[in-house]
Amino acid sequence: MDFMVKANNLKYEYTRTFEADKETRTETFLALNDVNINIKKGSFVAILGHNGSGKSTFAKQINALITPTDGTLWVNGYDTKKEEFVWDIRQSAGMVFQNPDNQIVATIVEEDVAFGPENLGIESSQIRKRVDSVLEAVGMSAFKRQAPSKLSGGQKQRIAIAGVLAMKPKCIVLDEPTAMLDPEGRKDVMETITRLNKEEGITIVHITHYMDEAVKADNVIVIDNGIVVMEGTPKEIFVQVDKLKAYGLDVPQVTEVAYNLRKRGINIPADILTPEEMVGAICQLKLTI
Amino acid sequence: MIRDITIGQYYMVDSPIHSLDPRLKLIATFVYVICLFIINDVYTYAFSMLALAGIIAVSKVPLKFIMRGIKSIIVIIIFTAIINVLTTKGTHVLYELGWFTVTLEGVYMATKMVVRLIMLIVSSSLLTLTTTPIQLTDGIEYLLKPFQKIGVPSHEIAMMMTIALRFIPTLLDETDKIMKAQQARGADFETGGLMEKAKSLVPILVPLFISAFRRADELAMAMEARCYHGGDNRTRMNVMALQKNDYYAMAVICGFVVCLIIIMLVM
Repeated sequence: MDFMVKANNLKYEYTRTFEADKETRTETFLALNDVNINIKKGSFVAILGHNGSGKSTFAKQINALITPTDGTLWVNGYDTKKEEFVWDIRQSAGMVFQNPDNQIVATIVEEDVAFGPENLGIESSQIRKRVDSVLEAVGMSAFKRQAPSKLSGGQKQRIAIAGVLAMKPKCIVLDEPTAMLDPEGRKDVMETITRLNKEEGITIVHITHYMDEAVKADNVIVIDNGIVVMEGTPKEIFVQVDKLKAYGLDVPQVTEVAYNLRKRGINIPADILTPEEMVGAICQLKLTI
Repeated sequence: MIRDITIGQYYMVDSPIHSLDPRLKLIATFVYVICLFIINDVYTYAFSMLALAGIIAVSKVPLKFIMRGIKSIIVIIIFTAIINVLTTKGTHVLYELGWFTVTLEGVYMATKMVVRLIMLIVSSSLLTLTTTPIQLTDGIEYLLKPFQKIGVPSHEIAMMMTIALRFIPTLLDETDKIMKAQQARGADFETGGLMEKAKSLVPILVPLFISAFRRADELAMAMEARCYHGGDNRTRMNVMALQKNDYYAMAVICGFVVCLIIIMLVM
């Protein structure tokens, strides 16, 4: 199969209890409604959506932490509903969570990175090799004997990525990994992710609400109220400024500038995503005048 | 800062005792503590004390650090001494104090108990002073493994200890943050009597507990995502293996026990 993740009419329903008028009520809630998503092997996909749109629910589905109520989800060819595949799925699709503090298990960096392979029952000399090489890959070799509590958020998140990498996954799902980081940490994490995608060919599913991070992806999927509402390359998505705003999302800053300039009648392309492209477009503008 | 507190009381220095296998150190401490309860006369006491002094010297841990452990239980030591002096009945009356009589036997008994107590504390704090919490956890996990058959969850105990150690700095940090947040809104933690101080802790503890539960939930999910499924079929990166020094240490422990038995038989 060419697809790393293939969702077919995926539905996920959950009941939530809440208190209203002094009585507890339960309500079923469709977090995902007829979602059809295909993610190619080796691609970098960004999933956008505002809070409560169902994007995190989808991420957890990929890791078989929750299973579909209806429809089917294949991860690396395994049906997530079949319980016998659960460990294969989790090994082939690793997951990095939002809060770096709540996903580090051990008191020493290298011990934490070893946690995944240890669970897989890999031989100890082999684990040592993997740990050393993945710490190198995320640029954290110098910290391997340190306590995670002494590291910055961005460093902790890179350790979490290393911990997933040590299990040799084919795909990494990142659920808002940069949401709690400072700009420096965000940059480091994004560089690590893009490098892993380009150099190691690992499929990346990046769930975020930072638009400038989504720009780096091959494909962007927008989820709203559990429904896939937009899908396409970053350029195709971000030109639709009005539509994105209607879903409660922003566009990258330069794209918004381009959008506003166009509104004022200045002839520059609408699909500008990076400051460099903007510079190019503005320079050409000068030439034509 | 609150986050700088060290967990346990590990004293970092390079010594032959520090580099010993944690399992061996655990067993040695266990054996020594049992010996302390068996020994009964001056000679065996002196010999045990001598052995302990020798180990302290080799461990390079300053006496100041070892004394710190005794300081924290000084009340218990004094209490034990007084109780023993006053309640031991004997024939050689030294002093009469109303209802109580102080006898020579009492003083002798009290000295013995106090020395025993001090040696107990010193030997066990020597273990924690020379072994990191992580090594201790690993050692305990390994030593408890044989008891798995009778239902002792050795892996789970070790995992719980590891996670607790891992989250102590995180939760301390969080406590600090919550305290500052409450102080910013006018909470007062410094003044007032004992009751008021205890009451003022409630606005810290409630958010702390809620957050700890949320963290636990997220951690459990993260662990599952990394294929955690308990201790079965789990391997370890660092396998504990006995080194040359460990065998020497074993010989020393055996030698100590044998000498103790000989002294007890001869005297």
